[in-house]
Amino acid sequence: MRPIAGIAAVAGVGVRQYRRGASPLPERGVLVRAIIDACEDAGFDPAQIDGFSSYGDDHNEPVRLMSDLGTRELTWSSQVFGGGGGGIAGAIGQAVGAIATGQATAVIVFRALAQDNSGRLSAAVMAHHLNGHMMAAGLVAPAQVCAIRAQRMFEHHGVPGSAVEAFVEAAYYHGARNPDAVAYNKEFDIEAYRSARWISEPFRLLDCSRENDGAGALLIVSAEVARDLRKPPVHILGVAQGAAAGWGDLLENDADDQYATAGFRSVARQLWRQTGLSPDEIDVAQIYENFSAQGVASLIDHGFCDYESAGEFCRVENLIAPGGKLPVNTAGGNLAQGFIHGIGMPIEAVRQLRGESANPVPGARTCLLAGGPGAPIVSSAIFGTEETL
Amino acid sequence: MGEAGEIWSTGADGPYWDGLARGQLMLPVCGGCGRWHWPAVWRCGDCGSWDHGWQQVVPAGRIYSWTRNWHPFGGLESLKVPFLIGIIELEAAGGARLMGLVEEAGTPVKIGAPVAGTFGSTMYAGRAVPAIHWRTS
Repeated sequence: MRPIAGIAAVAGVGVRQYRRGASPLPERGVLVRAIIDACEDAGFDPAQIDGFSSYGDDHNEPVRLMSDLGTRELTWSSQVFGGGGGGIAGAIGQAVGAIATGQATAVIVFRALAQDNSGRLSAAVMAHHLNGHMMAAGLVAPAQVCAIRAQRMFEHHGVPGSAVEAFVEAAYYHGARNPDAVAYNKEFDIEAYRSARWISEPFRLLDCSRENDGAGALLIVSAEVARDLRKPPVHILGVAQGAAAGWGDLLENDADDQYATAGFRSVARQLWRQTGLSPDEIDVAQIYENFSAQGVASLIDHGFCDYESAGEFCRVENLIAPGGKLPVNTAGGNLAQGFIHGIGMPIEAVRQLRGESANPVPGARTCLLAGGPGAPIVSSAIFGTEETL
Repeated sequence: MGEAGEIWSTGADGPYWDGLARGQLMLPVCGGCGRWHWPAVWRCGDCGSWDHGWQQVVPAGRIYSWTRNWHPFGGLESLKVPFLIGIIELEAAGGARLMGLVEEAGTPVKIGAPVAGTFGSTMYAGRAVPAIHWRTS
């Protein structure tokens, strides 16, 4: 089997982020802007894009983008199943697959979201999953669904609240130092975090990501083509999506040893096998956090720590750039940078490995992207600089 | 399948909803290997059987996890916040778990706390959804 590393690379990124409900253009218009931004970043003619991939029930059919982009021929369009952010890295995997097999040569991975067009993200995600069992239980919002998993991780498995606090604080630390972040220049106030209003126990307000309008796009081309473009290629070293038996859309009947996880164990195993890397060899990580505790569960699933060592591993000094053992969410993450259904996470992975991050990790060569946690289908990817090939 | 099953079923779980309409908790057991399947399946992925017997189960179990909800999420206007949601593990049904509203009647809600259920409904977005309501003992 052909290794994934060396097939494809991210050549350009673009993002437009606005306050929720404040998008200056309808959703598709913002998406076209972000795609053109990604092409300009790469020095690539948008008319040459021939493929598209997305996730999370995105409403923007690629074929409808062709006139704006000047697309000559569309040869690939796909989306990962699932209403949440679980498919974000999987969408990148589809792009790699399309390029590897010659079905496309230049693929845009995207997500666009404007409240006036697609409504509240939380409601849209839930509409994908909602059923009578959930309505009967009053369990109708992503915050509640994730809260109930988090409660078992705390109460039964003994993960300390301090691990989650540190994870949140690290995100805000980075966000406060990123001019593009919603939390820019706002120092994190731990007392305000601890006393914020409850949403669904154990989550308070600042444990929850809050939606932005906007769009983000990543231009993915073959590794060879990427080397001739404007920016240094950021290679996709490994990428996996899926679910293990005992995980999925199971009415809360996930296997006992998977219930209080973020669902990544099988995906993480695939990633480490594909790349030959281990958690120790990851320099920086973008860990999609819809809710704070799910970010920590994601770190556990990927093998950076376990239930017992999560408190020791997740300390603020370990999780921040430049010198932490594993700086996470270096743009501020969904919590503090902004939340366009997570598309900012792979974009920060690329910027970090190019040395363009607002919170650079000096010499970083590898970056993990963990996609939306707790979703029935989850996915992750590892990016690397040229020297990792 | 009865009327309740037709309205609320999301797959192979029609007899569950028909049971609730009669005031009974019904859950499926595989006719081939005896395994409790929840959520319900048409085909047992373990033994390949398409034969499922629905058995009546006493609505009693233990809290597997829980959350106390404080935010007025849309559709739940008829529930006064805060309210408790539990995941209830049913030992009598091979550890199958149901989700449901929980009332802190006796012992405080915590993982492992015993609960018992009664049949009723929950209003969601103006519709009465058949439900089991749980109380700590």
